[in-house]
Amino acid sequence: MKVSRYFPASAIFLLMMSFCMSAAYGQEETEDTGDLVMKAIPQNKEAVFNGNEKIRYRLKVSNNTDIVQEGRLSYQVTTDEGKKVAYDSVHVKIKGRGDKDLLFNIPVKTTGFYRINFMVNMPEYDDTMRRVFGVNPEKIRSQLHKPSDFDVFWKQSMEQLASVPPDYRVLERKDLSTDRKKVYAVEMRSYGGLLIRGWLVVPRDGKKFPVHYRVPGYVVTLAPNMDNDDFIAFDLNVRGNGNSKDVINIGTDNYSLVNIENKDKYIYRGVYMDCLRGLDFLYSHANLGIDTSKIFVEGGSQGGALAVVTAALDKRIKLLTMQVPLYADIHDNFAISASYDEQVFPFKVFRRYKAEHPGYTWEKFYSTFDYYDPQNFAPMVTCPVLMGIGLLDQFCPPRCSMALFNHISSSNKEFVCVPNSTHEVNFNYFMFQNLWIREQFRIP
Amino acid sequence: MKTIVKISFFCWLLLVLITPLRSFAGFPIGKYRFVVVPTFSYYHQKDRFDDKDNVIKGAPGTGFTSYASNLYVGYGLSRRLDLIVTVPYLYQQNTIAPGNTLVDAGLGDMTLGFSYNLINSNYIRFFSIGVAGIAPLYKSENEISPLGLGSYGTEVKLMYSGALPKDVASKGYFNTEFGYRHYYSTQGPDQISLTASVGYPVTQHDQLSLDILLFRSFSSNKTFNSNIYAAHDFFFFKPQLNFGHQISRRLSVFAGGFFVPFGVNTGIGYGGSVLAVVKL
Repeated sequence: MKVSRYFPASAIFLLMMSFCMSAAYGQEETEDTGDLVMKAIPQNKEAVFNGNEKIRYRLKVSNNTDIVQEGRLSYQVTTDEGKKVAYDSVHVKIKGRGDKDLLFNIPVKTTGFYRINFMVNMPEYDDTMRRVFGVNPEKIRSQLHKPSDFDVFWKQSMEQLASVPPDYRVLERKDLSTDRKKVYAVEMRSYGGLLIRGWLVVPRDGKKFPVHYRVPGYVVTLAPNMDNDDFIAFDLNVRGNGNSKDVINIGTDNYSLVNIENKDKYIYRGVYMDCLRGLDFLYSHANLGIDTSKIFVEGGSQGGALAVVTAALDKRIKLLTMQVPLYADIHDNFAISASYDEQVFPFKVFRRYKAEHPGYTWEKFYSTFDYYDPQNFAPMVTCPVLMGIGLLDQFCPPRCSMALFNHISSSNKEFVCVPNSTHEVNFNYFMFQNLWIREQFRIP
Repeated sequence: MKTIVKISFFCWLLLVLITPLRSFAGFPIGKYRFVVVPTFSYYHQKDRFDDKDNVIKGAPGTGFTSYASNLYVGYGLSRRLDLIVTVPYLYQQNTIAPGNTLVDAGLGDMTLGFSYNLINSNYIRFFSIGVAGIAPLYKSENEISPLGLGSYGTEVKLMYSGALPKDVASKGYFNTEFGYRHYYSTQGPDQISLTASVGYPVTQHDQLSLDILLFRSFSSNKTFNSNIYAAHDFFFFKPQLNFGHQISRRLSVFAGGFFVPFGVNTGIGYGGSVLAVVKL
């Protein structure tokens, strides 16, 4: 009896391996189309290096025309504030339908994030590919500009919040509920007596659930989150967001400017307190199946900032996950934004305000905003933390997000860099976040 | 001696056929978490395939029946590395002639090893390697025992598991495993196996799954002699259909049935298993 007659194992094994490998590498970037296509691949997948290792990029250029292309390929590295630190250029000739692979060693060792632009200059083709890489991001340090009365200010804010009767209302929305989940519209009074609303989605399949408490991005409407079968989803629309616009209903151009010249009345004082009031709601409604020992707060962009603040001010939060936290390290964000060719949020709005208000100074801006910079809350965060950032993000520059992250007191903290993302993370991050939360809560 | 050979052969077959192959394969268990899988299996055979693939009828009144339980415990040491232990307990009835039944019971071959996730495709599919040591938990005489192969061994497995591709099915999972076992005995055996499983949820809490096992055991010595492991050279194909029900997020139960439609030097067996998957 021959083995192969009954068990063509080697062939099957090879097939299986081939399938595995193709699936594993299937997640790589898809091919771009165009006459000349550049692909820059950092040696480390996340484009984050430690200072001891060589920083290498492989630049692959594909000529999709039938004509020979000849010219220069170059790269330029600048700091995230625009200071030039490295440059190199090579002459290349790429035959029709041919490829050129180049390996660039980038002579950078100093901690920080760097912009690297790859440029192709040919008679019929000019293009620049912009990328960002990091060196020792865990070692990034920033100055905390924490006002001396910061803690008192927020203690008083919380006391004022506590003095507002919440007047919770919970209404089951049968029209939105499904056979698997009950949807509740909830509302409550928050800081200053404002009415805010949210959505609570409770799986029918079980008696007690951990809670995914989501806080919103900048003037973003949160709707009932029907996506998770294993968590209660609580989505809170803070004042001026979603269905909480009874009093404050301002567009994105001005939302962050409301009372910016008065630290006591600045809109985010109430917004931050809204997040704590949402937590009060969860704690007072355990009867709906809420496992108050397992509440995690999550948010992206403005939501990332709100999540940090919530976890800092209220220890009832057991996990914090955030993506691209807005306003982090606002002083350095200002410095970095000064190097942009075109202004983006948030300093696009703040600079506009300053230009429109003669006499308004950056000192005045910081005299308010230093009370609200989420970085100043970071040392108060002691629960496990996961953060995701996009390296091409200009709204929340990676250096600022990492500065905030490095100020977090918790020793159980992780971050994920998504190299080719701007103000967002990717699917892979959220898959990891899901795994991370289950790991932290020890849930199946 | 012939009787011992038969018993050992049945026993070996039993281990291969009813070991809970629905372990967690290439899926990482998860850091700090336990998975415990107690299994109870039933196996019966009367007839057998000979070395030419022909069906040989068993003598009237003879047959082999086994009741086995197995405890699988997995612990996630890290996101990629799992520690895995399996301990079987066997109870066998081998009726070699009408009215003459040999009964053996005891612990079988324990495995202790690790599974390491080598490649993770977006946390959807996982390619992992498993390495384990095999140790007999029973006494054997000249490496012959009704409860196992009577010698230490090593197992290496490559596993690829994950969600079914979206263009194949919108939900469901698959698992493939290629395994190699070597026993440190003068006659081996060396064994290779290929397992493929597909599971598909039929309701929110119920699923159907199909497991297919191809198994080959071989030795340089193909002649029959007193050393069963050196003397035997066999192959079988075993499909198993299972039904699974999720009782809670931490507890699921599965029940399945299998048979051996073809093989070489192996029993024409059938049986079933019931197992619980407890996630802690």
